[in-house]
Amino acid sequence: MKSKRKWLAIPGFLALAAAAATLSAYAGASSSEGNAPAQPVAFPHTLHAGGNLKMNCIYCHYSAGKSPDPGLPAVGTCMGCHTTVAIDKPEIKKLAGFWQRKEPVPWVRVHKLPEYVHFPHMRHVNAGVSCQECHGQIQNMAVVYQQNSLNMGWCINCHIGRSNPQFKARYDCATCHY
Amino acid sequence: MSAETEAAKPGVKRRDFLKVVGATTVATTAMGCSSERVEKLIPYLVSPDETVPGVSTYYSTTCRECSAGCGVVAETRDGRAIKLEGNPEHPLNRGALCAKGQSALQGLYNPDRYRTPMIRKNGRLVAATWDEALTLFRQKLTETRGAAANAVFINRHESGNFPSFLNTWLASQGMPAALSIDPDIDHAAIAANKQSYGVAWPRLNFSAARLIISFGADFLDGWGANVPQQLDFADARAKLETAPRLIYVGARRSLTGLNADHWINARPGSELAIVQMLGGSVTAQQASQASGVDVAALTELQREFAAARPAMVLAGGASPRGMELCLAANALNQSAGGGATIGSSSGINGFEGIDSPSQLRAVAQRMQAGAVPLLMTRGVNPAYTMPKSSGFAAAMAKVPFKVSFSSIPDETSALADLVLPDNHSLESWGDAEPVRGTLSLQQPVMDPIFDTRATADVLASLGTAGATYRDIMIGRFPGGATGLAAALPRGIASGSTSVLVPRVAPAPVVGQPGNGDFFLMVYPSPLLGTGDGANKPWLQELPDPVTKIAWQTVAEIHPSTAARLGVENGDHVTVETVAGRLTLPAYVYLGIRPDTVAVAAGRGHSEAAGRYARAGHNAFDLLPYSEDRSGATSYSFAKAKVTKDGGFSRLVTTEGSARQHGRGIGQAMTLAELAQPQAHESHGEYPGDASHEFLPGLRSPTANDAQGDLGDKGEESKEKGMYDPKHWSGMAKHRWAMTVDLARCTGCSACVTACYAENNIPTVGADWQGPKFMPDRTGFGANITRSREMAWLRLERYFEGGEDGSANFDTRFVPMLCQHCGNAPCEPVCPVYATYHAPDGLNVQVYNRCVGTRYCSNNCPYKVRYFNWFGYGEPARAQYAFPEPLNWQLNPDVTVRGKGVMEKCTFCVQRIRDAENRASLEKRGLEPDEFTTACAEACPSRAITFGDAADERWTVAKLAHDKRAYHVFEELNTFTAVVYLKKVNHPGAAATAAAATAPATSGGH
Repeated sequence: MKSKRKWLAIPGFLALAAAAATLSAYAGASSSEGNAPAQPVAFPHTLHAGGNLKMNCIYCHYSAGKSPDPGLPAVGTCMGCHTTVAIDKPEIKKLAGFWQRKEPVPWVRVHKLPEYVHFPHMRHVNAGVSCQECHGQIQNMAVVYQQNSLNMGWCINCHIGRSNPQFKARYDCATCHY
Repeated sequence: MSAETEAAKPGVKRRDFLKVVGATTVATTAMGCSSERVEKLIPYLVSPDETVPGVSTYYSTTCRECSAGCGVVAETRDGRAIKLEGNPEHPLNRGALCAKGQSALQGLYNPDRYRTPMIRKNGRLVAATWDEALTLFRQKLTETRGAAANAVFINRHESGNFPSFLNTWLASQGMPAALSIDPDIDHAAIAANKQSYGVAWPRLNFSAARLIISFGADFLDGWGANVPQQLDFADARAKLETAPRLIYVGARRSLTGLNADHWINARPGSELAIVQMLGGSVTAQQASQASGVDVAALTELQREFAAARPAMVLAGGASPRGMELCLAANALNQSAGGGATIGSSSGINGFEGIDSPSQLRAVAQRMQAGAVPLLMTRGVNPAYTMPKSSGFAAAMAKVPFKVSFSSIPDETSALADLVLPDNHSLESWGDAEPVRGTLSLQQPVMDPIFDTRATADVLASLGTAGATYRDIMIGRFPGGATGLAAALPRGIASGSTSVLVPRVAPAPVVGQPGNGDFFLMVYPSPLLGTGDGANKPWLQELPDPVTKIAWQTVAEIHPSTAARLGVENGDHVTVETVAGRLTLPAYVYLGIRPDTVAVAAGRGHSEAAGRYARAGHNAFDLLPYSEDRSGATSYSFAKAKVTKDGGFSRLVTTEGSARQHGRGIGQAMTLAELAQPQAHESHGEYPGDASHEFLPGLRSPTANDAQGDLGDKGEESKEKGMYDPKHWSGMAKHRWAMTVDLARCTGCSACVTACYAENNIPTVGADWQGPKFMPDRTGFGANITRSREMAWLRLERYFEGGEDGSANFDTRFVPMLCQHCGNAPCEPVCPVYATYHAPDGLNVQVYNRCVGTRYCSNNCPYKVRYFNWFGYGEPARAQYAFPEPLNWQLNPDVTVRGKGVMEKCTFCVQRIRDAENRASLEKRGLEPDEFTTACAEACPSRAITFGDAADERWTVAKLAHDKRAYHVFEELNTFTAVVYLKKVNHPGAAATAAAATAPATSGGH
């Protein structure tokens, strides 16, 4: 009787493992990697962060170095330049429209971690992790897309120092999950 | 993932199996959460100065939940208030905050709040614009101009400048000054204090007393201002050897009574005789006859009182001779305390100038006579707080036009013809004078949520000045706008306001007590007061500190009475007085006289008061209306008939047993035991116990989970990774730990509400959250009757002694939370590795790994794990606990848990991480005591200390090795990180002498 049970248990485990593998593969494929939604204003990071301007990311994403939240530029920040610069361009007219109507621009989120993950931007920025490390070469993206999977394995790879020993950091679950 | 799949071959090790299953859990959950839904990122239009997104901004303001005026610091994130904490610099509350104060947030975000002005059309209140509403108000003011002297404005009492501003406005309209009403206050005590000490509420110096005798003065339950009194009382008790002994005299042991070392269970209304006996004007025999207490006990009290100097005598007046009692007690106090225990210095200035409740009764009589043309109310609810027998609500029908400035619907505003909703106090400007000569400033901590306007602004706009109340405040403030701006961060400034002069109370109305075998005691709930708190789910869900009942109104009866009536817990009894009858479930309570039945007030509001306030029954319906000489409503004088009714309701209680059954959860020692030299005995190794390697700090074995850095050193790896204190991450150098001093803890439960607020804990007791198809499990609190409450931190209350029903029993309050065991029974049974021991000593629950087997909860000896049965945090579900805009309060640093996930106390890991992040940004290490958990921060008795037990500089590291320290269920070898310090009892001389001759039974477990 005992051995019979044991023989039932092993295929059970195998079936479970197979199901797990299938699910994992499916989950990997459905990650939002590559997600490149259309934005209400076609903001070209190529012109601002790349090209000749090469603006520092922190100029617009102003709290990335001091807050878990990187910060989004207020419409007023855009209008700091665009009341005089390129005002005839159709996308700038759209932007000015938002400004005149006193509406914030409803940007579509590209990079999103699940709610049960806490990602403090400032810890990463202050540790010398460049924005591109996670977000990819944003300055070359005409339309911003998610370059990396942002899955846990991808995070952990860096935390254990496998991709770059100087970036190794705690990998305890409760570092991010709480 | 394929590598992991390969590992899952027959003979799979637990860890490998977990890897596969665990990874799957993560991936599938991630799939649901991160991909499909399109989310918007909404930036600011113009970025506000001083705020950083994702970082909290703190505003000092003033708590308006009672008249005391404690200082609060409101934490706001991205424009929303998310947490209230005490202002450490405030002279009254010194950084602590009671449950009621913290729940102000649920008043602010109450889903039932008025969202626009309301005008009565065709008998119903309908939404209107401010223009319409103000036009109507102006028109009515003009119409009543001729009879303006008869108009009545009833204002919720507050100190500060607003009352005189209001009275000036009323005078400009030709109207009399407003009535300043606080229904929660003991008016008899105030009137007596005014006479004895010259101030409404003198400072109670508990520390100076050797003996405190309280005659129904529930200074921990709401008699006076809880927080400052509790701070002082806990400090006094923490002196241990020289701490005052507390004797409580009254028919029911309230929370204050349970904290007393000795209880004298006198008949309601007979306290005066005992005070007179101590004063020498009445003999012990006469006092015994009046109070029903045996002569020996009274003589002993007399002897003890005579020997203890200085002594403090306090009295609460809820009886028809309440004021006489308070006056007699004050006189006794002055002779026995010599001015040391209570002097003439003002304690709580906010209680000056309160009008007596009898003024409301007089208004009711005038309304009934048709003499009131216009009634205005703000922040008060006399249609509920005045017993039906006073006729207030009925008389309101005779008033041609009634205006309410209430921000939340209640019985009174439901009868109004016009509602001009006030801003919540957290959205308004103002000030209070909590201590004479000190102003506590009140500023808006966020923009108004709804289309409401501050009453002060409305009145200012109707006046000639045309300014806003903020402008008026600036104009009055020394230094103007810059002066105010400079003072606001601290929230306090020196200055004083004109004190209201209370009106002379009209001749008292004396009601008939009626007939019956029982004395009826109606008492204001320590949490809901006289009903203000009932619309806040946190306060409804928080079990009463004494009865442990939530969401329900019960009739408290003594075990011997219950036996006589043939009822058990939950059996319905009918309580009938001359004023009315209520059928309530019985709650068998050891701490009440056999001839008394007690019912807590505050619940049982009408439909109009919102979705939460309907829970329970209204105890005021039982009260025949009566006043004492000061004009205070008498709550305990009526006689009642109590009969068994056939019905039964399950008690909505969080209590399993009121007895410890020898388990030693809440331990105590006597003073004599404290004096003995032997230190806290620590057990050695138990037979069969594996040898352990311990981490720094409190004994905590190196986790079994310890793995090599990359987990690839092979199965033979002895490397401990982050569990090695020398590891580069430094995590194992910390051991987060907590001490709970039971000599300080009073059981007030403020910590529980702080935990709800900090950790997004859902309330589960509303009627729509419970089952629909189980007839005996429906209604308010249904989920709690199935033990499905989610309180990560609960306050256990145990009785020791009194098994024979005698009054001689001791109470132990034990805040019970996850003990973060170093050797946790929950961890090895988790099949998916969702709970494990972190290197810094935390017992971590990873929500996204959890699949809800509940094995951990079954294996937890402390029963501190809570399973989310219904997805209380998911908006689409019927059981959703945070209907808009209550969800605005949710802490963005803490995950809102979904259905099917186990959750529990995290030791506020978000605060630990936040402190670590801050330290890292400032390139430094953690400073000792630089942060603490939400429960410790709120605790008004400073019983909870949190910190790093592995670092000698933290307070907790010292306290954990106190002589009184013990671990609950130490014998289970759990190596808990929560260390309790034994309660210290102060038995009287007689008990000590008896203990010396017979072997002691009262101490220990």
